[in-house]
Amino acid sequence: MKRILFMLTAFAFLAGLVGCSSESRNVTMHKPGVYKGTKDPLLALKNQQELIDRAKLVQTDR
Amino acid sequence: MARMKFLCDVERCIDCNACVTSCNNEHDVPWGINRRHVVTMDDGVSGEKSISVACMHCTDAPCAAVCPVDCFYFTPDGIVLHDKDLCIGCGYCFYACPFGAPQFPEENSFAARGKMDKCTFCAGGPLPDNSVEEYKLYGRNRIAEGKLPLCAEMCATKALLGGDGDVVSDIYIQRVVKRGGRPDTWGWNTAYNFKSEKEKKP
Repeated sequence: MKRILFMLTAFAFLAGLVGCSSESRNVTMHKPGVYKGTKDPLLALKNQQELIDRAKLVQTDR
Repeated sequence: MARMKFLCDVERCIDCNACVTSCNNEHDVPWGINRRHVVTMDDGVSGEKSISVACMHCTDAPCAAVCPVDCFYFTPDGIVLHDKDLCIGCGYCFYACPFGAPQFPEENSFAARGKMDKCTFCAGGPLPDNSVEEYKLYGRNRIAEGKLPLCAEMCATKALLGGDGDVVSDIYIQRVVKRGGRPDTWGWNTAYNFKSEKEKKP
C-alpha cells in the first residue's frame, strides 16, 4: 500500500514538473500559406538555361 | 528567370491522344487516371477543335490557395508541385482547378479519396531527384535530367508546347504571323462575336 502511495506521489510530482515546463502548449503546427513539407532538391535548380536551349531546339518548327 | 508554361495550339492538335499515352507511360500512371486529357469541341462536325489540357502551372494557382494543409509549393521556374505526404485528399483543389487537373487514383470506401495526383511538368516531387521513392509517388523527373515534359517533346504536330513561357510565346507568335491571321485561340470568335468576311457579305 505504501509503495503504491509512493508511486502515485512520484507520478503526481513528475506530472507537475512537466506542467511547469516552459515549452509551448500550442500543438497547432499549421501556418496558413506556408509550405512545411520536404524541401525539393529542384529548388536549387541550376539547369534553367539548358531547359531554355532545349525548348528552342526541340519545339521550334523544322 | 524562366517560367515554365504549357500552350496547346488548337489549329495543330489532331486529337491523337499521344500526349496522354506518353504521360501515362512515362510516369506509370494507374489505369483509368489521366494527368493529361484531350478535349474536343464539336466532335465529328467540320471545324472541330481539340485541345490538350493538364495542370497549367498557374502563377497564382487556385489549388494552392484553397489547400487547407498547404501541400503545394512552387519551383523557381514556376512549376506547381505538391507533397503527397502532406496531402489529406480533401479534394478542394479538384473543385478549385479550372482545368480539372487534380486526379485521385485511390478510391476507398465511404468516398474517401487517396492522395491527389497531377501533372508535375515532369519535375517529380520533393523527394530526392529520380529516386525510386520519387518515381513511385510522382513519376519521372525529366526536368532534373535537363529535359522538358515528354507530352510536349513528342507531340507529332508540335501543337503542344511546353517550356519557358517566353520561348513558347515566341514560337506561337511566329506561327500566328505565318498564318497571317488573328490568333485562333479557343473561344476567341465566340467571345468577340467575330464574323468572317463571307458571313458579313453573303
